[in-house]
Amino acid sequence: MTQFSDERGAEMRELFFETAQELLQSLNEEALKLERNPADAELVRSIRRIVHTIKGDAAACGFRELSNAAHELEDALTLESASSHGSQAEVAFTAADTFGAMLAAYRRKGKLPSSAPLAKMIRELAQQPKGKKRSKKATRAPVAPAAWTEYEKLAIQNAVSRGKNVYHITTGIDPHCAMPIAARQLVLNGLAPSAEVLGARPEAGSPASTQRLELLVASERSADQLTALCRIPTVISSVVVEPVGAAEPKAKKAATPEPAGNAASPAPSQHAPSPESGEELAGVARPSHTPMLAENILRVDAERIDNVLNLVGELIIGRSMLQQAFTEFARHVPKEILRGRFSDAMAFQSRVLSDLQRSVMKIRMVPVEQLFRRFPRMVRDVAKQVGKEVGLVMSGQETDLDKSLLDVIAEPMTHLVRNAVSHGIESAEERVRNGKPARGTIHLTSYHHGNQVIVEITDDGAGIDVQKVKAKALEKGLLTSEEADRLGETEILALVFRPGFSTAEEITEISGRGVGLDVVQTVLHRLKGSVDIETRVGQSTTFRLKLPLTLAIIKALLFRVERRLYAVPLNAVAEIARARESDVHQVQNYEVLQLRDRVLPLVRLGCAPGSDEKAGSGKIFVLVISMGERKLGLIVDRLEGEEELVIKALDDQTVATDLISGASILGDGRVVLIVNLPAIVDRHSKFRPEQGDSMVSGILLSHADRKNLREAPAEARL
Amino acid sequence: MSTMNPELHIVGFQVGRETYGVPITSLHEIVRVPEITAVPDAPDYMEGVINLRGKIVSVIDLRKRFGEPKTVLNRRNRILVVEHGGRLCGLIVDSASEVIKIPAAEIEPSPATLQDGRLNCVTGLGKYKGRLIVLLDMAKLLESGAARREQAELANAEARSAAAGK
Repeated sequence: MTQFSDERGAEMRELFFETAQELLQSLNEEALKLERNPADAELVRSIRRIVHTIKGDAAACGFRELSNAAHELEDALTLESASSHGSQAEVAFTAADTFGAMLAAYRRKGKLPSSAPLAKMIRELAQQPKGKKRSKKATRAPVAPAAWTEYEKLAIQNAVSRGKNVYHITTGIDPHCAMPIAARQLVLNGLAPSAEVLGARPEAGSPASTQRLELLVASERSADQLTALCRIPTVISSVVVEPVGAAEPKAKKAATPEPAGNAASPAPSQHAPSPESGEELAGVARPSHTPMLAENILRVDAERIDNVLNLVGELIIGRSMLQQAFTEFARHVPKEILRGRFSDAMAFQSRVLSDLQRSVMKIRMVPVEQLFRRFPRMVRDVAKQVGKEVGLVMSGQETDLDKSLLDVIAEPMTHLVRNAVSHGIESAEERVRNGKPARGTIHLTSYHHGNQVIVEITDDGAGIDVQKVKAKALEKGLLTSEEADRLGETEILALVFRPGFSTAEEITEISGRGVGLDVVQTVLHRLKGSVDIETRVGQSTTFRLKLPLTLAIIKALLFRVERRLYAVPLNAVAEIARARESDVHQVQNYEVLQLRDRVLPLVRLGCAPGSDEKAGSGKIFVLVISMGERKLGLIVDRLEGEEELVIKALDDQTVATDLISGASILGDGRVVLIVNLPAIVDRHSKFRPEQGDSMVSGILLSHADRKNLREAPAEARL
Repeated sequence: MSTMNPELHIVGFQVGRETYGVPITSLHEIVRVPEITAVPDAPDYMEGVINLRGKIVSVIDLRKRFGEPKTVLNRRNRILVVEHGGRLCGLIVDSASEVIKIPAAEIEPSPATLQDGRLNCVTGLGKYKGRLIVLLDMAKLLESGAARREQAELANAEARSAAAGK
């Protein structure tokens, strides 16, 4: 193992963690294929290649346990000639999980998880086809059968092509030998004049087993001659020399076994390594397995891209500064001839800046496939667990999404998919009874819709019974009976996202839904996205996640409340209505507005108008926002227009409010706060008229406003 | 406070009649009070946010934080921008005075009576030229917002369950 300097080593490990994730993913994928296609020896080889890469990389990074485990697995998989591929797939799945857990442990420098279950499976796999004698050895020294590296295999090929014979020599070192380590050198010295050593196990300097030495040599001598050369009295107790090149045809035959009969039939040879090596030759010679597409891809730390994006954000602020200054300048000096040139240059700069922004954002975009690819394995596992047949169909994997978003929605997605399998899809018997195919199907799809990315999870299960949800909500006290009568179907369905609805165990039986859906919604809202449900009883349920393209920059509508500036994401604004104070009606202490044919609940962001002054005649602006299926009108004082905002985070700990989700800086240096709409909707829905109407009006008033509206600083600041 | 370091370098500032101090290592810069954008629904001592050369920084009014009577901000007011745990935070003070070196031996632990209430962020009292300097613990000073939020959430949850119970 090479020792790196700390920094270098850390960098390398980081890289390894990333590539390893991909390797594990491929491992899962190949294992899934193998499970469907147990007879495909190429898949086993592909799995071995992956495991081999993991082994090598892990060793290079000094992760000995992982490297060892991978090594054992790789060895076990070489016995493909005599074991059923079905169980190999199972082992590969377990391995992927165990390796993943180990990686996670390495990463946070935590305690390594036990790899004992995996080791046990590997041993079973290795034992299956073999006689007792061999298996005993395997349990004692699991590293026993030598696996040659790709490099060594290449060397074999070279030697063969040069017309040499390649032999696999297994020597047993005499247990009474005084210096077992020197024995290795003695054998090598003996062979040196007449044979070329291509590889040796255990490797030089390895403290491992000193009872056995396996060599891979190329020579023009015969097997007998080599045997004689190796036999050193009192040092070497046994020598077995087997030709490697010659075994090829036999190995090929053994490598493509009948899937069913093969576990039963005993292995043709007690010494598996030689046919195996030959088999590997065939595998190496195949050119198809080396994927060459990684050539043009750079691996860049996301932080660096974020830095660039931040700088672009600053530039955009700078652009508005310039724009504003120019407008003022134009007002001051309306006749200046240079104005045209300035304005041309600025238009040019602005165009390039937009391109730059788009390009940088594109760097952050990754196809949702990166997220989707984990689900086939998961669906399989969960389906197996609950004893159902479920297929997964995916489409729109190429849809791009901001990487940070992708990472955040991974968990809610997992949740929804798991839910769909375990609760959405009915049992096979029930499906057949209802005239559906026994095998349930889950569709994952993703597409762009305007400024948003939509991800849908659809199952063709029993659907959600609205009546049962309503009954449950009543029982839970989430709803009064009069509310229940008033609410529409979509609103009732939305109740499953309420915290408290989910905690009850029996709800899963009744509605088939409900585990932690509130978490899903919380996450989506935090991302300025939303989630809604569409269901047809007995046929299907669709969860639709709507996400913004990116979190970094939004188009926003600016408005004023109490002369202070705020913004909301433009895509949440359905329309802007103008009305008079007299159009606002009071219904059970709620303020509502009749907008065409529907009644719109209102939220007053500022304070209510004084009862005597200009009551009834004042004009108001109402922003109609839509969150999911709900519509809400926000009364604001004045509109300020649209602007592209670069979102900056607020210090959560000191700000300590959920009403504001972020802030941005305008061209003139002013700070504008971005209103968190879900929080406002939430407050509105929690508002109970009997608690007084302080909640729904004046949401955006600060303490200063409330306590001392007359005071000077509040005014002076505007 | 490390005993290896015989002297502590403190930035002194006034809030009300008292002189307070924070370790100079936690100070980022001192700026005049710019336009402050008030944040609705934030804790009352949270004055708002400012634009510090493109960064949004929250500002706490120490007068309110310490329960001093409120006065109108004037030209002498400053914002101490302090850094703690990678976060920047502004503290509005009446005026920032000087850098004070206090021998570690001259610092007494804060009296038990200060452990509760609004002054729970005091780490010790330093004696300097016959004056007492109240040393502040950044962590506690800035944590309070989070604590408040938790409390609010707790109260929220209770209200919710109470409403559900009805």
